[in-house]
Amino acid sequence: MTAGRSLRQIAIVLRKEVKDSLRDRRALWSIVFSMTIGPVLIGFMMNRVAAREHEAERVRIPVVGTENAPTLVEWLNQQAGVQVVAGPDDAEQAIRDRTEDVVVIVPKDFGERFRQSRPARLKIVVDNSRNDARPTTERVRRLLAQYSAEIGSLRLITRGISPVGVRPLDVEEVEVSTAQQRAAQILNFIPMFIIMAGFIGGMQIATDSTAGERERGSLEPLLVNPAARFVFVSGKWLAAALAAFVSVLVTTMLCANLPRFLPLEDMDIRFRIGREHLGGIIGAIGPMCLFTAALQAAVATLARSFKEAQTYMGVLILFPMIPGIMGALYPIGASAWMYFVPMLGPYVLLTNVLGGRDPGVAAYINSGIVSFIAAILLVKITAMLFSSERIIFAR
Amino acid sequence: MIRVEGIRKRFGTVTAVDTVSFEAHDGTITGLLGPNGAGKTTTLRMLYAVMRPDRGQITIDSVDAVASPQEAQTRLGVLPDGFGLYPRLTAREHIEYFGELHGISGTQLQQRAHELIEMLDMGEIADRRTGGFSHGERTKVALARALVHDPQNVLLDEPTNGLDVMSTRAVRHIVRKLRDQGRCVLFSSHVMQEVSALCDSIVVIASGRVVAHGTPNELRHQTGQDNLEDAFVALAGLERGEEP
Repeated sequence: MTAGRSLRQIAIVLRKEVKDSLRDRRALWSIVFSMTIGPVLIGFMMNRVAAREHEAERVRIPVVGTENAPTLVEWLNQQAGVQVVAGPDDAEQAIRDRTEDVVVIVPKDFGERFRQSRPARLKIVVDNSRNDARPTTERVRRLLAQYSAEIGSLRLITRGISPVGVRPLDVEEVEVSTAQQRAAQILNFIPMFIIMAGFIGGMQIATDSTAGERERGSLEPLLVNPAARFVFVSGKWLAAALAAFVSVLVTTMLCANLPRFLPLEDMDIRFRIGREHLGGIIGAIGPMCLFTAALQAAVATLARSFKEAQTYMGVLILFPMIPGIMGALYPIGASAWMYFVPMLGPYVLLTNVLGGRDPGVAAYINSGIVSFIAAILLVKITAMLFSSERIIFAR
Repeated sequence: MIRVEGIRKRFGTVTAVDTVSFEAHDGTITGLLGPNGAGKTTTLRMLYAVMRPDRGQITIDSVDAVASPQEAQTRLGVLPDGFGLYPRLTAREHIEYFGELHGISGTQLQQRAHELIEMLDMGEIADRRTGGFSHGERTKVALARALVHDPQNVLLDEPTNGLDVMSTRAVRHIVRKLRDQGRCVLFSSHVMQEVSALCDSIVVIASGRVVAHGTPNELRHQTGQDNLEDAFVALAGLERGEEP
């Protein structure tokens, strides 16, 4: 059997497996789901962050008894994004019912005490157990404190005292978790979703064409055809890798289009996946697809049944998730050794590419060669399994 | 032409096939007859090279099937036990897939698929997916794809198992046609009537051994039984057990 003939046969098996799986509606939907879930989730989370940020900036303050403190109301209305409205009759009930996030109550004696320079009492009604209301209540507290400090300073100045003397502390709050950072953290999940799409995309063909083929009883007639076992295995492997690669491309494209639907610019976040990234993404993920498909095919062939193979796939999927989740929560710096670890190498490459850093040609080559060699080894093992009567006849 | 010399196969401590030897000639229908578990399927699997015999020789048209399994396979058309089909492919696509793997392509392949669809009278189902096919229709598809490369030797593992009367007649008709085309047809069965109705030569297997080999008449003479079924029972050593 010549090499040319073997290559032709590999192509024949590949084409058949792709055709067969394209007709498998249920499997196709699961792949579509796996490709879209990441981008959709990211879009959803980003929108939440943006909406919250928006809410806190534009704050609507219900005030009961606006007529008792016209200056305060006017001052509040002048602050950016603040709008004072008439408060509800029963402020506490409104907070309990969650119809309002916060209500300010100005008592009747406010003006009198204020004029006498006695502390003028104000009430704010809040529910501190509500996390979603916190940005608004915080904003209101800060505004009132600011007003109080301004008036205090003015009173001291009129009495000829420098206001600096009565401010022994000057506390400046540095908010680390800005909306921008939270958004950037969400974007850190993109590499993981891309890798997962590749993993799930190849899974169907890898299991159906090995464990599934045996369970249907179609493996035996297939093996009666005059071709080496590695020919059959290679065709199935490449079909699975191709499906994985297509899934990666689709997910990447969806992620690249995310900025169209998200108010990223309002939040001052620079995020872009463009044509210039495509080469890097393919270089990082292409070899990985060959590896994951080979791994899945080997594991599925070892399984005693199709069901068992699917169970193993559920466990295998944890592997691409580990670096993904770790990386998203605690951004890992790229070290040279990482490129020599299958799955981890492509992940680090991908985070670099998407982050606009060039990991260097050597990193691509190292990671690619490792994935490729591991894939070839796994294919050889699978071909050996395909030669084992125990495996072929599943007894 | 198939020649088997002293093949043996063990699975762990179980001896499935214990020294089986026989010849099957071109232009002849040879029946491999034996009760369930006698080693028929294992013998055939070694012939079509998905199992390796522990010892012994298999020759397909002068090709050593143990040493060159792929070369032997090009000369074999095989209908395995439980012919798995792909439910999402059409009958024609099954024929074409196996044809391509045998190196046939283009108009030659289309022509061959057309011929087989005609011969097996499956024009109506040719372009339907096999998912909902009846047992008889599935048998036809499996037969057609086994014959796509025009093999000189045809191995059929219990081809009429579970078929209704009409489908069984159709399969018998095809088997005779293959013989008349000068092919070597070897088929296994545990059904006496099947073998006596079709075969020119019978190999009786019991407990992994060939217990008799000859024409139906020779077997009757050999055992002194007029009825071939009685001859089979006598040969297979089944008289101690229940009626098969």
